[in-house]
Amino acid sequence: MNDSEQTAVISDEGEVGIVEYQDFVSSERFSFESGGSIPELRLRYETYGHLNEAKDNAILICHALTGDHHCAGVYSMDERKPGWWNFMIGPGKPINTSEYFVICSNALGGCMGSSGPGTISPETGQPYNLDFPKLTVRDMVRAQSMLIDSLGVDRLHAVVGGSMGGMQTMQWVIDYPERVGRYISLASCVRHNAQTIAFNDTGRQAIITDPAWQNGSYTAEKGPDKGLAVARMMAHITYLSDVGMENKFGRRRRASADEHFDVEFEVESYLRYQGRQFVTRFDANSYLYLTKALDRFDLHGPNSLEETLSAVSAPGLVVGFTSDWLYPPQGNRELVEALLRLGKDASYAELAMDYGHDSFLVRTPKLYDLIRTFLKR
Amino acid sequence: MHTQHGKKRQADFQVIAQWVAEGERVLDLGCGRGVLLQYLKQTKGVYGVGVDIDFDKILSCVKRNVPAYQGDVNEILACFQDNAFDRVIFSRTVEQFDDPDATLQEGLRVGKKVTVGFVNHGYWKNRINSALHGSRTINEVYPDPWYASIPANPFSVAEFEDYCMAKNIRITQKAYLAGDWKSERALLPNLLAGYAIYDLAAS
Repeated sequence: MNDSEQTAVISDEGEVGIVEYQDFVSSERFSFESGGSIPELRLRYETYGHLNEAKDNAILICHALTGDHHCAGVYSMDERKPGWWNFMIGPGKPINTSEYFVICSNALGGCMGSSGPGTISPETGQPYNLDFPKLTVRDMVRAQSMLIDSLGVDRLHAVVGGSMGGMQTMQWVIDYPERVGRYISLASCVRHNAQTIAFNDTGRQAIITDPAWQNGSYTAEKGPDKGLAVARMMAHITYLSDVGMENKFGRRRRASADEHFDVEFEVESYLRYQGRQFVTRFDANSYLYLTKALDRFDLHGPNSLEETLSAVSAPGLVVGFTSDWLYPPQGNRELVEALLRLGKDASYAELAMDYGHDSFLVRTPKLYDLIRTFLKR
Repeated sequence: MHTQHGKKRQADFQVIAQWVAEGERVLDLGCGRGVLLQYLKQTKGVYGVGVDIDFDKILSCVKRNVPAYQGDVNEILACFQDNAFDRVIFSRTVEQFDDPDATLQEGLRVGKKVTVGFVNHGYWKNRINSALHGSRTINEVYPDPWYASIPANPFSVAEFEDYCMAKNIRITQKAYLAGDWKSERALLPNLLAGYAIYDLAAS
């Protein structure tokens, strides 16, 4: 009398293996929601799997704030770390590349090859820096839609994203309802609350008050590394959870600390390392632009959450994580409750995990089953 | 035993399906694995939403193509406007609520109709267990001893109808199933009905 319905988990999982990125370039002027524009749009992206003849098996993955287009595979056999969602994407995995054509692009405003504040303007020969137009999530999604056009895909099988990627996912189904077959939003929200804006601004202030920031006109060699590292350290705390940090570090100490304020606790060492690593791969101005775009994102506007969501036609799955205090379950539920009030096909699932906001980046059988199942529906 | 329980678990499906009109908007509170909603979707073309507290149940609903919300019944009820659904279903869930009256009243606010299905604890076999053996009922539906069961607040057909009268809740339809939970039985329901199903409306 077993009440459970086990999912068959036997599968031949493989890896997408060696991948390379590509650049989509549009030489048409790209206009931003704010009114600004840039003469040329570039989005760096990767694809895995094959687009079928009907061109209806494409899945777009939207990355988080400091993520990028490299979500699966490796660039070379020497690369130690595969793409950020490698456990989820590949042959036989939930986002099955034997079945689906998977696309992931670096967000507009980012710094991993897509147009952003650090890009050299073809008009001036100089980086845009603060001349880069004010950015919104809607701009990011519109740029992605142009990439999708260029790949010959009219309608996506699904859009999937976590955190900032979840916000992009919702913007997709709001702005292009007829182009999305289904969607999954993980650890996301309909707008930032005061606490989240407060954290973001503290991070931005760390950058802006670093003398090396130079009003955004720093050089690649001499940027506001200290401010950016502190911003990252603080933001990184918000991606974890109290319990998760306690389990991982507790009060464990390093062997020796000579100076009073040297690294003493393991958690200090970890966060400082995260800060140092971050400045080698992320641009401070991109961080400012992207966090500001997220703070301004508000599906309650311009009139109401229901009105904004009324265009949604695709069935959706929203996933919250119990220990996520950055984008807590409540904010994810708020989205689904509004969709259900509108009579939409929307589901909400919640996973009890200790990894805080980053839970969606952690491999668990439940998340595995959920995503696999929903994409097949 | 498995199939027997499976059938019993779905005892009220046919009755509820008869009462549900084509294309209704249905909210199933305590939807389990979404079997009822899937059935109503297939047979009546309803727009149905299930609610359950358990992740695995939600996963099963997703598998069945039934929209489902993982969370607390009272919280989800609170987020809907009056008469948001044509029907709110409580199939074998009322006995588990902390405040059954408050939840039922919320159901009557959110649904134009409320359907309640429950095991009649006035059924003679259940009385015998209590009277003769001094023990709770253990059968294929309630297989677990008290120490391995979730808290439940069982009630009888008579108690439920008294409640509806006291609270001025209209019973618009009812069906009593015999001890096998299959055939309908109208005589002496508090003693002879194993299972009861009601359609309710606020007065």
